[in-house]
Amino acid sequence: MSNPITSIKLVLLGEAAVGKSSIVLRFVSNDFSENKEPTIGAAFLTQRVNINDHTVKFEIWDTAGQERFASLAPMYYRNAQAALVVYDVTKPQSFIKARHWVKELHEQASKNIIIALVGNKIDILEDNENERKVAREEAEKLAEEEGLLFFETSAKTGTNISEVFLGIGEKIPLKGLEDEHNNNGLNVTEDQRINLANTANASENASACSC
Amino acid sequence: MGVRSTSQEMSRETQERRAHSSSSSTSLVTSLMKSWRISSSTTSSSGSSSKKKFTQSHSGNPTTTGTYSDTHSHDQNPLRHSNELGMYSLSRSSSSDGNFDAMSKQQNSTNRSLSSSNNTYSPLRYNSPSTNQIDSPRASLMRQKHNKHSHHNQLYYQHNNSSAISESSAHKKSSDKYFEDLDEDWSAVIDNYNMPIPMLTNGGNGKSVSGYGNNGDSRNNLSRTSTASSMATSLTSNTLTQSQSLQYPQLPNLNTLDIPDTEKSQEEMENEREVQELNSIMQRITKFDNIIKNKHIINLQDLRQLSWNGIPKPNRPIVWKLLIGYLPANTRRQESLLKRKRQEYSEGLKHTFSDEHSRDIPTWHQIEIDIPRTNPHIPLYQFKSVHDSLQRILYLWAIRHPASGYVQGINDLVTPFFQTFLTEYLPPSRIDTVEFTDPDTYLTEEQKMDLEADTFWCLTKFLEQITDNYIHGQPGILKQVKNLSQLVKRIDLDLYKHFEKEHVEFIQFAFRWMNCLLMREFQMDTVIRMWDTYLAETSPETILSFASSNQVSNSSEGLMSPHTPLSRKPATFSTPNVDHVSPASSVGRSNLGANAANQAIASPVNVSSSDDSKRFSHTSLNEFHVFVCAAFLIKWSDVLCVMDFQGIITFLQNPPTKDWKETDIEMLLSEAYIWQSLYQDATSHWLK
Repeated sequence: MSNPITSIKLVLLGEAAVGKSSIVLRFVSNDFSENKEPTIGAAFLTQRVNINDHTVKFEIWDTAGQERFASLAPMYYRNAQAALVVYDVTKPQSFIKARHWVKELHEQASKNIIIALVGNKIDILEDNENERKVAREEAEKLAEEEGLLFFETSAKTGTNISEVFLGIGEKIPLKGLEDEHNNNGLNVTEDQRINLANTANASENASACSC
Repeated sequence: MGVRSTSQEMSRETQERRAHSSSSSTSLVTSLMKSWRISSSTTSSSGSSSKKKFTQSHSGNPTTTGTYSDTHSHDQNPLRHSNELGMYSLSRSSSSDGNFDAMSKQQNSTNRSLSSSNNTYSPLRYNSPSTNQIDSPRASLMRQKHNKHSHHNQLYYQHNNSSAISESSAHKKSSDKYFEDLDEDWSAVIDNYNMPIPMLTNGGNGKSVSGYGNNGDSRNNLSRTSTASSMATSLTSNTLTQSQSLQYPQLPNLNTLDIPDTEKSQEEMENEREVQELNSIMQRITKFDNIIKNKHIINLQDLRQLSWNGIPKPNRPIVWKLLIGYLPANTRRQESLLKRKRQEYSEGLKHTFSDEHSRDIPTWHQIEIDIPRTNPHIPLYQFKSVHDSLQRILYLWAIRHPASGYVQGINDLVTPFFQTFLTEYLPPSRIDTVEFTDPDTYLTEEQKMDLEADTFWCLTKFLEQITDNYIHGQPGILKQVKNLSQLVKRIDLDLYKHFEKEHVEFIQFAFRWMNCLLMREFQMDTVIRMWDTYLAETSPETILSFASSNQVSNSSEGLMSPHTPLSRKPATFSTPNVDHVSPASSVGRSNLGANAANQAIASPVNVSSSDDSKRFSHTSLNEFHVFVCAAFLIKWSDVLCVMDFQGIITFLQNPPTKDWKETDIEMLLSEAYIWQSLYQDATSHWLK
């Protein structure tokens, strides 16, 4: 209890192959693999970091990017406290998609959600700045208009990855103090809505699950 | 011999049984389902405690010389009768566990008299309680499904029919008699089925029954004296279940453990084993050759039945093409059809990549970025030529199926076909190198186009079966996930409730299971083995419709013989030709009635179809897959039940299946089959 833990539910959104899974892999395992299998459905990972004597546990849902899976996304962002909207700085189409995600989050997600706009794959620009297809200014403008955090990252080299999460972690406790008192608050409310019979089952389960 | 080595023996025994059971007796499967689940989960969690494994399966399964006192007459409704037996066996084999409560409740009405004398280690569960269940047509039916050698089954069944079923009262009293009989029976098939002999021999010995479980040393002695020579040979029965051998982790272990007590040198044992393995592989290949070679009309019914238990590598490409309905059963038409389809493919490509056809850029791009990340751990999929082939196949499929289009996951599903068909062009000795060799080094351009065409058409046939999975909203997958949760709720209520308590939703882990047909959960070689069964499960009606579209369907020629073992209507997803097909199905059913009498013994599967065509009328590949997923999930039940949300999701995202062998997959499929058999009736109500 001396070191309170805040859980932050975070979701990653963005077009396919912009590097969502790679960002998470870098953040969670400090690892990178060139050809990661496309995420199907969503992947769940966690990572703890210390921010100002405070432990923050990120519970990360890394969603699939392909359009066909988009209908699953609300399930993951609906109760998220934070979202990374990721695009590929070399793919203008992915930035258009990012705009859509920001819009959808503002409309559908929780009002207090912290959104970070993340332009990934800046390592490609090191060799050739001409590869850049999404101007930094353009992204900054969007971030300002929509009240987003903004980072340009490289999951491959690790540039700015932890900064993204630290930036979110620093913002969350300030915004929602109550989260500190009730780590599981979000989980509980979320699932009670889904499952009203939950409490009855839970007690029964406690005795039954001695397997 | 210390406790430690005893427990090693025990775990060895467990492994051996696991390896064996998938290939022979389903009653063993039923009685082991629980204990295996425990053992695999224990292995996965700690990887060490074989002793614990033993204790758990020991205590978790109060074994009884269960005698089945229900009407044991061979009644008019063997299925119903046997269904009870099947249920009964399951609920009993886990009665103290609670995981099968729901099932037990359903089965409360089943009459049983349990004489709990044999509270012994599970090999004896196989011998004592389960063998009684073997008497049932149900068990026999299920065994048939898993048995490589139907004629052995036939013997077995006939035998049981006379000695066990009709003399049920005598049988009740004396399991010993049964074991003797069984022994004789097995000895008749000794060339193929050595594995059961040691156990059965021991089981037949009244003294050893108690000694087996209570005293590890005496058990070991017994098994040595009675089985020393057959131990090595018994290993080869493993290889019956797969085309390639020498992959069983327990093999070297067994040898070293047995050597001190046998007079054979290690070399001798090795040689003997190798010879036996080769023999059994050859036997199995011959069985397939007998069906598919030098025949005018290939009996797809037999082929499906045989393939369900695995296809030898040399036979696999052609058998897959037959099972999926790409190649016609009429062998005289195969060549012309292949020629036509291959030409169709290459013309399709030409048209698609010609100037008059505008490229669907988003689709092309999506496939392009997914192909390098398809099976990234297999060298084969890193070769440029393979990338190009897969790109063409997937793109052509996508633009020809606009309702679905390319969906991530389909890139996974294409690879088993591609890889399997590649082996056609490799000499038999090099089949195993397919994952490491650039196809460009051994394929001509023309061969490559043929390979692509075959892959394309088989992928097309396969995806036809599961179209709903990939259309907008993916209703097929959502339904399967829902069905899975409902199934788990009924099979393993504890697990279901634990998930509820931890707020785990099935879609969070099972979506991928459905979207990629568990391909992400297993290594490629096991996936391919799994597909032997899945392709054997593909619904004949769709194949029939495909056949008629190719003008090769002619009922007299019998592309699908009317009494196919898997004649089930694909009702859970939309098949346009259901109406068109159903008359044939009903004819098939009436035929079945007549055939059932004749074939009851030879082919218990047909017994089930005749009496229970409704039961099988709502299944499909998708549905069977749900049962496989259920079996897969429940396998980890014990570990999952002590995990929190994070643990559960993390575990299920990365299940410990890296070391799974084909035998593990076969066990899983067998379990799935049993669940399906048991829950088919129920599912018609709640699996909508």
